[in-house]
Amino acid sequence: MTRTVRLLASASGLAVAALGASPAFAAGTASGSTITNTVSLNYQVGGVAQPQISASDSFIVDRKINLTVVQEGAATTSVSPGQTNAITTFLVTNTSNATLDLNLAVSQLAGGVSANGGTDNFDATNVRIYEDTNANGVYNAGVDLLVSYLDSVVADATRRVFVLADIPIARVTNDVAGVRLSAAAHETQAAATVGAVVTQTAGANTAGVDTVFADTNANGNTARDGIHFGGDDYTVLAAALTASKTSRVISDPFNGTTNPKLIPGAVVEYCIAISNAAGAATATNVAISDSLPAQTLFDTSFTMLINGTTGGPVCSTDGVAGGSQAGNVVTATLSNIAASQTRTVLFRATVQ
Amino acid sequence: MKFLLILLALLAPSAVLAQGDVALASEVFVERVVTDSQGKQSIVREEPKVVTPGDRIVVVISYQNKGAAPKTGFELTNPIPDAVSFSEADSGASVSADGGKSWGALAALKVKQPDGTTRAAAPADVTHVRWSFAQPIAPGNKGEKSFRGIVK
Repeated sequence: MTRTVRLLASASGLAVAALGASPAFAAGTASGSTITNTVSLNYQVGGVAQPQISASDSFIVDRKINLTVVQEGAATTSVSPGQTNAITTFLVTNTSNATLDLNLAVSQLAGGVSANGGTDNFDATNVRIYEDTNANGVYNAGVDLLVSYLDSVVADATRRVFVLADIPIARVTNDVAGVRLSAAAHETQAAATVGAVVTQTAGANTAGVDTVFADTNANGNTARDGIHFGGDDYTVLAAALTASKTSRVISDPFNGTTNPKLIPGAVVEYCIAISNAAGAATATNVAISDSLPAQTLFDTSFTMLINGTTGGPVCSTDGVAGGSQAGNVVTATLSNIAASQTRTVLFRATVQ
Repeated sequence: MKFLLILLALLAPSAVLAQGDVALASEVFVERVVTDSQGKQSIVREEPKVVTPGDRIVVVISYQNKGAAPKTGFELTNPIPDAVSFSEADSGASVSADGGKSWGALAALKVKQPDGTTRAAAPADVTHVRWSFAQPIAPGNKGEKSFRGIVK
């Protein structure tokens, strides 16, 4: 018997400890909850215990409206000129003690310092807001839905929102577009509709549930307006390609390969080298088109090599067969060229 | 909502109970820091009309012996509401951090942790507060005790 009592006592102690240690109340006691305090009194008269008496007082917890919007990951989104559906990610949290609909809007900075320290100097286009509907942390086209508000966000819940935008083709490296996602507290309505804007209880306190705005002025926000925004930005990182074309004589009909001269019948090797600058974005789908001089004829006996490297000013012969030729026009599509990388096109022609 | 209003109507008048010949009342106030036009800050007590999580509340317990006989063994016990985190009580209070099983000064209490070890109890661990009066309460005598907490 004693054993059971002891066990119960220790189990109860555990429960209390767990309660005390829990991170507890970010949003806090739900709006509309009644908190009742009851005190009881035991006493004796003439040594005889009297019936216990008690007294209570209650109050209702009012609705505290608070919310935050922050970019996910404190880093800019690196984009290419002309990129479509470039993504910035935000986390929207309802720290109110009630369920809310959160109306979303995205705006763009007009100059000034963007969220990650860049200087805003352009606007992205075709800006849209998607919710991470399947909550997997990445944007899934066709799964994550285009939204204008977050429906019925319960107290303390966080939803992830993606802002998608297109980058104008003319932008250059280090151009920055700052974007802001704002969330405004709205009443929660039947599913799939956004409710009316939440307003603070005006005038005198009421005995019922009042509404109090408690959002902060962090990151340039206005305190206690029921709206919170967070910033993120797009930073352009373009590829910076340079092309060079060199040629050398391989042989002529009389000297062979020993000190060949550029006489009719001589074989000339052309080396086209495409280099991407240090720190630039990786260039993809690099297409080369080269027109040979009219006095030369493409040498079909030599296999054209692409994606090779250079050794000094000339192409090394380490490329792979590729590219194509039609008449006097040589075309080739190179593999991706990373920053500081060079890829080549190597072919030969004969002098007529 | 209608139900809630009725409930409130029922609760409101019950704040003061005079059972037998002892009067006992519990009242809750919100404490706020207000800044006057000179920028001076002071703490005021308000009726708990606007209360949101994080607000500081004061519970004031008042008692009076309205009878002719002295009351001995006078003991006030107040469980802390679940939605309130205890912070401090008037001197003379003993507290419990285990649902009313053991009592003492907060500094003397221990709380058992999930891993079996114990730690010193913190104010947030307090589940009950109690005042036991060593001296009898003489006829006509009255007094107040209070404790503070924060709405979770």
